[in-house]
Amino acid sequence: MQSIFSSIPTHMDYKGQKLAEQIFQGIILVSAVIGFIYGLIIEQFGWTVYIVLGGFAISCLLTLPPWPVYRRNPLAWQPVLAESQGEAREKPQENPKKPRKHK
Amino acid sequence: MNTVLSRANSLFAFSLSVMAALTFGCFITTAFKDRSVPVDIHVSKVMLKNVDDFTGPRERSDLGFLTFDISADLQPIFDWNVKQLFLYLSAEYTTKSNALNQVVLWDKIVLRGEQTKLYLKDMKSKYFFFDDGNGLRANKNITLTLSWNVVPNAGILPLVIGSGHESLTFPDTYETTKSY
Repeated sequence: MQSIFSSIPTHMDYKGQKLAEQIFQGIILVSAVIGFIYGLIIEQFGWTVYIVLGGFAISCLLTLPPWPVYRRNPLAWQPVLAESQGEAREKPQENPKKPRKHK
Repeated sequence: MNTVLSRANSLFAFSLSVMAALTFGCFITTAFKDRSVPVDIHVSKVMLKNVDDFTGPRERSDLGFLTFDISADLQPIFDWNVKQLFLYLSAEYTTKSNALNQVVLWDKIVLRGEQTKLYLKDMKSKYFFFDDGNGLRANKNITLTLSWNVVPNAGILPLVIGSGHESLTFPDTYETTKSY
C-alpha cells in the first residue's frame, strides 16, 4: 500500500515550486477581487464566498499535481565520484566561533 | 520538503486568510451605515384591566391591551451584510415606583429576501403588557417605539431605534371583567 502511494510522482523542482506558489496566490487573489466586487454589486456575500471557492478549486487543479511545467529545471547533480576518492572528501567544518566579548 | 500535502496546506491557508480579509471587507463596507428608517405606529384601541398577577406578590396589577398598526419600509436596511432583522415593539413609561419601565409587546423576525414592506393592521400584542403595580391607570405618557437588531454576516450586532414614536394614554378607569 505504501509503495503504491510513494510511486506516484509528486516532485517539483525548485523553480517549479516557486512558480506553483505564484500561480495559486495569483488565482486566489484575482478571484477574491472579482468575488468581492461582484458580491458588493449584487449584495450577496454568499457569491463572494462561492467565487473564492471556485478559485481555490482551480488553483488546486493547477498547482497540486506536478504538471510538466513545474519540472523544467531539474537540479544538475554532480556526477558520482569514483569510490577511491570518497573517503578523502571529508571537509573540515567551517564554523568560525564569534570572538568572545571581553569586558 | 515540498510535497503535495505541503502545497495543499499552504494553498488552503492562503485561501482562508483571503476569505477572512474579504469578510472583514464586507463588515467595513457596511459598518458606518445608518440603519434607521421612519416607522409609523398608530394605536387604535386601548383597554385597561386590573387582574391578579400570579407572578408577583398576590396583589392585583394593571394589565394593558393594545391594538396597533405598524407601517414601515425596511428595504433600505438590507444590504449584503444583513441576514435578518429582529423587530420589537416596546412601551416606555414612567411610574411612581420606577423612573423607566420598558415592556416588549410584540416582535417579528424579517429574514433576508422576505417581504420588506411592513404594513400591519390591527395587531394585538404578543406579550402581556403587565405593570408591576398600578402604574398604567391614568398614565398619560406611554411611548411606543419600534426597534430592531440587525443580524449581520460579519461584524457587530447593531441595535437601531426606529424614528417615529406613538404616545398614548391609558384611561382612568378599569374595564370590568364580565362574568359569563
